[in-house]
Amino acid sequence: MNDRAKLLKTVQCYSFAMLEASLFLDTHPECREALEYYNKYKKLCEEQKRLFEEKYGPLTMASDANSESWQWANGPWPWELCANED
Amino acid sequence: MWQYEKKLQYPVKIKNPNPAAAKVIISQFGGPDGELGAAMRYLSQRYTAPCPKVKAILNDIGTEELGHMEMICAIIYQLTKNLTPKEIKESGFDTYFVDHTTGLYPIAASGTPFSAEIFQSTGDPIADLSEDLAAEQKARLTYDNILRLVDDPDVRDVIKFLREREIVHFQRFGEALRMVTDQLDSKNFYAFNPSFDK
Repeated sequence: MNDRAKLLKTVQCYSFAMLEASLFLDTHPECREALEYYNKYKKLCEEQKRLFEEKYGPLTMASDANSESWQWANGPWPWELCANED
Repeated sequence: MWQYEKKLQYPVKIKNPNPAAAKVIISQFGGPDGELGAAMRYLSQRYTAPCPKVKAILNDIGTEELGHMEMICAIIYQLTKNLTPKEIKESGFDTYFVDHTTGLYPIAASGTPFSAEIFQSTGDPIADLSEDLAAEQKARLTYDNILRLVDDPDVRDVIKFLREREIVHFQRFGEALRMVTDQLDSKNFYAFNPSFDK
């Protein structure tokens, strides 16, 4: 796995931890433990997204990585990279 | 409103094209228990849900399903890259190819195009959430069947992730249904529709 794919996979891990906790919190909003878990991964995810975006461009249109030049429209798009095309 | 994130929920990285596998997996794009129908079902039902938490779970699972549709499409896109006419004919992918080349079009594996007739939005939260529980089980068993038919570990890994999500969603919809019934008359849940009767 190359550096881009590794950095992105860590973003995907942290984002997934947040999403899973968010669905749980929707039906258990009083659970402090779940909220702490969500907040922990939110912080990690933000840091990891910044690292990825500095090197490989914006993950969202509003990202700072888009402010100097319009990088949003650059590839690769998420569905494109097969295993042998990294 | 939605904002796109330029990443898949879970990585899809397939080494070997396999149009025969694509032909069955496409059912989870446009088939009767596929991800497109799931997203449309929950995102349509959320408007008349009877309380904010049930609206939240329909909204957020519906949004996740859009991401799953994207993952299924990524699998099909990668499984049908760089095919020769001979591979297309021999795999049986020719019946799809003739109309769509390798473009993504939502159909069931049997060829029936996607239809809104595969889901309901009834405006009755007990009926809707009961359908949602069944829908998650039907998607889970479709993934079980795909795992019976597909050997490639690159594909199976992603299908197993998606299968697991169906089980988590089933759990959350069960909790949402209980929230609805907890607010109703325990002697007769059906005495009135909390989304309509006042």
